[in-house]
Amino acid sequence: MNNKRAVALAILLLPFSGAALAQQAPAEPADGNAELKQEIEAQKQRLAVLERKLELQQEAAATAAASAPRITANAQRFQIASSDNSNFIRFRGTLFADNRAYAGDSAPETADTFLLRSVRPTFEGTFAGIYDFKFTPDFAGGRASVVDAYAAARFKPGFVVTVGKFKPSVGLERLASEPDLRFMERGLPTFLVPNRDLGVQLSGDFAGGAFSYQVGYFNGVADGQSSDNLPSPDVESDTGGDYAARVFFQPFIDSDNFNLRGFGFGIGSTWQDLDGVATNPYLPSYRSQGQLNVFSYRGNTATGTTPNNATFADGERLRLAPQLYYYRGSFGFLGEYTQVKQDVSRNVGGTTLSDTLTHSAWQGQFSWFITGEEESFRGFTPQSTFRPGKEGTGAWELVARIQELDIDDDAFAGGANSFANPLTAISKESSYGIGVNWYPWNTVKLSLNYDVTRFDGGAATGDRADEQAIFSRFAINY
Amino acid sequence: MNHPNWKRRLLLAMASAVFIGGTAGIAQAAEVTLLNVSYDPTRELYVDFNKAFAEYWKKKTGDTVNIRQSHGGSGRQARSVIDGLAADVVTLALAGDVDAIATNGKLLPQNWEERLPNNSAPYTSTIVFLVRKGNPKKIKDWGDLVRPGVSVVTPNPKTSGGARWNYLAGWAWAKRQPGGSDETAREYVRKLFKNVPVLDTGARGSTTTFVQRGIGDVAISWENEAWLALKELGPDKVEIVVPSISILAEPSVAVVDKVVLRRGTRTVAEEYLKYLYSPEGQEIAARNYYRPRNPEVAAKHQELFPKLELVTIKEFGGWAKAQKEHFGDGGVFDQITTQ
Repeated sequence: MNNKRAVALAILLLPFSGAALAQQAPAEPADGNAELKQEIEAQKQRLAVLERKLELQQEAAATAAASAPRITANAQRFQIASSDNSNFIRFRGTLFADNRAYAGDSAPETADTFLLRSVRPTFEGTFAGIYDFKFTPDFAGGRASVVDAYAAARFKPGFVVTVGKFKPSVGLERLASEPDLRFMERGLPTFLVPNRDLGVQLSGDFAGGAFSYQVGYFNGVADGQSSDNLPSPDVESDTGGDYAARVFFQPFIDSDNFNLRGFGFGIGSTWQDLDGVATNPYLPSYRSQGQLNVFSYRGNTATGTTPNNATFADGERLRLAPQLYYYRGSFGFLGEYTQVKQDVSRNVGGTTLSDTLTHSAWQGQFSWFITGEEESFRGFTPQSTFRPGKEGTGAWELVARIQELDIDDDAFAGGANSFANPLTAISKESSYGIGVNWYPWNTVKLSLNYDVTRFDGGAATGDRADEQAIFSRFAINY
Repeated sequence: MNHPNWKRRLLLAMASAVFIGGTAGIAQAAEVTLLNVSYDPTRELYVDFNKAFAEYWKKKTGDTVNIRQSHGGSGRQARSVIDGLAADVVTLALAGDVDAIATNGKLLPQNWEERLPNNSAPYTSTIVFLVRKGNPKKIKDWGDLVRPGVSVVTPNPKTSGGARWNYLAGWAWAKRQPGGSDETAREYVRKLFKNVPVLDTGARGSTTTFVQRGIGDVAISWENEAWLALKELGPDKVEIVVPSISILAEPSVAVVDKVVLRRGTRTVAEEYLKYLYSPEGQEIAARNYYRPRNPEVAAKHQELFPKLELVTIKEFGGWAKAQKEHFGDGGVFDQITTQ
C-alpha cells in the first residue's frame, strides 16, 4: 500500500514537479543569456565605436577637403585657388607664331618673314575676392618688355580702381584681348588710340553691365604706342598727363529679346596737352594693315647750326572714338570710328609753323562661325574639338573687314615746309580683308588673313603701290 | 601749354571719388550681415539670440541685420578665424581661444577681455555628467569615471574648448582628493582618457556620440548641453549627475577688429555683443541653459543651475599658462595620450 500510495502521490505530484522543473529549467539558460547579452552589448559598443570613429574620420576628411587649396590644371587653365576661390593665382600665356607674305611690289622681299608676334606668359590672381593683379611680359621680337603690370581693387561692381600699366579705355578693338581678336592684326582705327600706358583708372559697371564707365589719368603715349616706346621706357617723359574717359551702353543686355541682347555702343576719348620738342617730337607714325610704315611726320634734315626742323607735338591732342558692336547667334559685327586732333609745329628756317591736324580712321568688321558657335566680344566656346581620327571639326570662323585711314591734307600743305612729306607718307589708306580662323581646340587657333590695301600718295610719283598681305598664324592661347 | 592745376584738380576729384565710393556703402547700408563664429553647443542659443537682436536692431536703427552662424570645436574655430574666416564677432568656449586670435592672428588687441563686462564673458556654464537612465554604472563623481569598465565620452581637448574645461575640472577634483598633487591629478586624467573610446572634435559631436550613437556610460558635458539632451530625449533616456566639484566655464566673446574695420560693421558688431548683457540677452542665455550673469535673471532660473563648488581658471594660472602646460604641443595631454 505504501508503495501504491507513494506511486499515486508521485503521479499526483508529477504535473507540479514538472511545472517546477519547467520553471527551473530556464534558470540555467537565463544566466547563460545574460552573459551572452553582455557580450553582445560589448560587441555592439565596439562596433558603434568603430562606426563612430569611421564617421569622424570621414567628417575630418570632408572638412579638410573643403578647406584645402584647389589646384586646377586642365586644357583651359592652370590655377591654384583657396577653397572658397576668393584667393587664386593663375598662369596663362599666349604664343603667336606668324608668317607674313606680300604679293606684288607692295613690299620689299625682306618683308616676307616668319616672326614671333607675341610671347606672353601671364601671371594673374586675386586676393580676398577683391584685389586683382596681372603681370604680362612679352618676349617677342627679340626683346623683353612689360605689357601689363597692374593692381586693381574691385570695391563694388561700379567702383573699381586700377593702377599700373594697362590699356587705357578708348578704342573698342584695342580693348579686346589678343585671343579674342577676329583678325590677326587690329584694324586702322586702333593705330590712333593708345596701346598700353601707365596710370590710374576708375571704372565700373551698373545694372548688370547695361552701363559701364572708365575714367583715367595716364602718362600719355603717341597714337598706337605703349609707354615702353617712350624715350625712357615706361617713364613719364613730358609734363602733360593724358586724361581718358569712356562710356559704353548695352541697353538690352538683360532683355528677353535675344535679337537685341548683343548690341552695345559707346564712345571713348583722351585729351592731353603736351609740349614736344624737335628732338622728342611725341608724334606717331602709322602703318599699313600689312604692318609696314606708311606715314611719318618729317624728321630733322637740318645740318650745322640750323635749328632742328623735325615736326613735333605742340599743344593739345584730342581723340574721339565712337564705337559699337552687335552679336547675334553665330554672327558678329564690330564697328568703330576714331578721330585724333593733334596740334603740331615745325621750325623751318627760324620760323615756327603750327597747325591742328585731324586724322581719322574707321572700320567695319564681320565675323561668322560656320560651325554654329556663338559670337561675342569676349571669347566663345567651341562646340567640338578636332582630333585626328575622331569626330569633331573644331570651330571654323569666317571674317571680313573694310576700313580706312585718312590723314589730314594740311599735313602735306606747304611743299617742303609741310609737316609730312607727301613723297614718303601716304595721305590715305583703304583696306579690305578676309580671313578664316580654325579653332581645333579651345586653346589653339590657326588663322589665315588676306588684306588688300590701296593708298593715296606716299610715293615719288603717284600713289604707293597696293599692298596685298597674306598673313598666317599658329596661336596658343592658354 | 601745361595745366598742372587742372591735373591736380582732376586727381583730387578722383581721389575724392575713391573715398566717397568706398565709404558710401557704409554710410547708406540699410542691410548688414554679421558672421558669428562660435563653438559647438551654442547653435540653439544663437538662433534665439540672433532673432531677438535682429528685431531689436531693426527697431532701434531701422536697419536689417542678418547674422550668420558658424559652429565647431572652439579651438578649431579660432584656427579658422586666424586663417582668414571673416568673423565679425567670435563667441568661443574659452578666453584662451580668443587670445590665440589676438596673439597669432593679430586680429584684435591683447586687451580684448577688458572691453566688455565680466572679462567679456556674458554668461557662464559648468561641467556635469550625462548618464543613461537609471545610472546603471552608478556614476556619482569624478572618481567613478576611471573605474575599469566605465566608458567615458568627452571631446578632444586639442580641438574643443569644452573638452579643456572637462579635463581641468577632473584635474581639479583629483588634486583635492586626500594626498592629491599634480602627479596624482596627472595619473587621474591619464586613466580617464584611457576610458575614452572616441575623441570627437567638439562638444556637439560628443553629445551625438553618447546620445545618438549610444556609445559610453557617461558623457562629460557642458551643463547647457546636458540640459538640452535631457530636454530632447526626456528623463526616461538620460539623467544629469552633478559632481561634487566642477569648474566655472566662462565662454568669451569679442569683436574681431580687423574684420569689422574692413567690412564696416564695427558698430553693429559691438552692439550685438553688448546685447548679450541686456536683460533680454541674459534671459535668452538662461532659457538655453547658460548661467546668466544678471543676478535677477539667475534667480528666476535657479532651479536649472544647482549650486556646487566651482574652481576657476585662475587655479591653473590663467588660460595662457594652462594652455601651454596642458594642451600645447608636448604638453601634459600629449604626454598622457602617447604613453
